[in-house]
Amino acid sequence: MATMIQIEELVKVYKGGIRAVDGVSFDVEEQEIFGFLGPNGAGKSTTIKCVIGLLRPTSGRILIRGTDVRQSPKLVKPMMGYASQETAVDDRLTGWQNLFLQGHFFHLARKEIDERGEEVLRLCGLWERRNDSAGTYSGGMLKRLDIAAALIHQPSVLFLDEPTLGLDVQTRKVIWQYIEKLRSEQKMTIFLTTHYMEEADALCDRLAIIDRGKIMANGKPGALKADIGGDIVTARFVAPEEKVSRLVQALSALPETVSVTPMGDGLQRIVARQRGDRLIPEVFALAAKNEVGVESIRLHRPSLDDVYLHFTGREMRDEQGSREEIGKARMTQRRLRR
Amino acid sequence: MTFLSDVWYVAWRELVIFVRTPVRIIMVVIQPLIWLGLMGNMMQGFAKSPMVGQMLGTGNYLTFMTPGIILMTVLFGGAFSGMSIVWDRRMGYLEKLLAAPISRAAIPFGKAFAAAIQAGVQVLLIVLIATALGVRFATGPLGLLVILLIAMCFSLILSSFSLSLAARIKSHETLMAIVNFFTMPLMFTSNALFPIEAMPGWLATIARYNPVTYAVTAIRQLTLSGWDWLAIASSLGILAGLTIAVLTLSRFLFQRATAD
Ligand SMILES: Nc1ncnc2c1ncn2[C@@H]1O[C@H](COP(=O)(O)OP(=O)(O)OP(=O)(O)O)[C@@H](O)[C@H]1O
Ligand SMILES: [Mg+2]
Repeated sequence: MATMIQIEELVKVYKGGIRAVDGVSFDVEEQEIFGFLGPNGAGKSTTIKCVIGLLRPTSGRILIRGTDVRQSPKLVKPMMGYASQETAVDDRLTGWQNLFLQGHFFHLARKEIDERGEEVLRLCGLWERRNDSAGTYSGGMLKRLDIAAALIHQPSVLFLDEPTLGLDVQTRKVIWQYIEKLRSEQKMTIFLTTHYMEEADALCDRLAIIDRGKIMANGKPGALKADIGGDIVTARFVAPEEKVSRLVQALSALPETVSVTPMGDGLQRIVARQRGDRLIPEVFALAAKNEVGVESIRLHRPSLDDVYLHFTGREMRDEQGSREEIGKARMTQRRLRR
Repeated sequence: MTFLSDVWYVAWRELVIFVRTPVRIIMVVIQPLIWLGLMGNMMQGFAKSPMVGQMLGTGNYLTFMTPGIILMTVLFGGAFSGMSIVWDRRMGYLEKLLAAPISRAAIPFGKAFAAAIQAGVQVLLIVLIATALGVRFATGPLGLLVILLIAMCFSLILSSFSLSLAARIKSHETLMAIVNFFTMPLMFTSNALFPIEAMPGWLATIARYNPVTYAVTAIRQLTLSGWDWLAIASSLGILAGLTIAVLTLSRFLFQRATAD
């Protein structure tokens, strides 16, 4: 398979001095659903905007099918479709008028707009409502209309920035189906960002995890999960702090354990080398020995949540660093909300 | 050719929104009606005095004032067209336009063109209302066509200027403040509502350099006295030059515009 997107050492520093993207490199293959994961303010949207030519990268190179985005924007723009995080639909126009304009902005012939417009509206389940003002659409319909508009010129690669943000579970699943359909029926490459781990797990062939402008991990979901280790045991202990910490030390020393991480609120996350069920009796035995009560215990296979936590989780870093990080993240969120 | 099509579809969007907003259309009709009715009536007695009449160039203050009202309407309409960019930026629609393979200059050009069309509609309405109120245009239908063109040209100037500001200014409060800062003084230091001959010296000097004055003078000439190309040539020249200058400025600013 050929490479669709090639990003090399991308850096974007905003005017205020914020280093939003800090040396990011990765490839996206053709006809792949590629997931871009990261906490708020990690640099996901910034990366996308650099790729589609909305922002000037500070340094680095971006190639779409081997063509440099900065050098030949006229050549690569028609290849790309983009549905932004904000859902940029004009709600004073009808659904059809939104598509009609988008078609003309991509220089399609009138006949093509009529044909493709109907096709994408049917695909997104909006054909019956096409002549209604977009102002009367629900949030999910607006999102679908935005995606439909991004599809009208049959791009080779579709960028979806948080396509399911703020949607209910049902609508989210409908959008997943559309995305799957686009890939299988239209042979499209799809690059999406998300906060939802089940979404990435259900949809993506490959994903990259970004945190504070840097790629922390990159690969198939299965491989990333395998990277973490075996099963995960999460237990809540009730006891004075020094007793728990003695227990944690003892647990860490076990040959079956990979790591023990405090999750706050008395929760401890124990990653097993292989099978977690063998570990549970030992947890109980050691807890009794250290006079620590076990309030709850849970065993599960590593999910993408664990992968995410592993690569971006503040709990993974040393205590002092983590407090600063959380503070910073909150600041960023507050800024974004304004 | 694709450039003209890009401009047209940017304008098309503005015009559809304009047509779909009935309140805006009603206001567009009512506002000049109020101005003409109220001001005309208020000032009529004053215009009856022969000395004033001589200064105005007509005994009918309404006839004197109609060109001023035309310009005033066009001025305020055009000056706020930059708001649509601020709005598009906030909505994310500007990103959509920038991500499309359209020429970036088509964004301000299209919006300015739409503003000029709207100005044309408004001017036609004002002319109709004024005619109903007894105003007669000395140059007839052909003169009205030229008046329409001058007004639309002026709308292009104002809207392109406002759009150029909006290429850089991201908050609508700031843009509003700047636009208000310009429009009011532009209006009241021109001969739109008051003849230059009756102004104190310093104000007359300002008025002579005010672009609004050029447009008003040309339109007033065509309304009150008839064809005199010599009298309106400098006005037309300056308006044409200004139009080109401001369009070029907006083109330059949008060529460099990005989403950040
Ligand atoms: N226009 C801007 N000017 C200055 N800083 C910005 C701008 N846009 C984003 N940033 C900053 O760049 C960083 C990355 O932002 P970005 O929007 O790329 O994050 P994200 O991963 O998309 O986050 P989210 O999940 O919240 O959408 C943040 O710290 C943000 O505050
Ligand atoms: Mg984002």
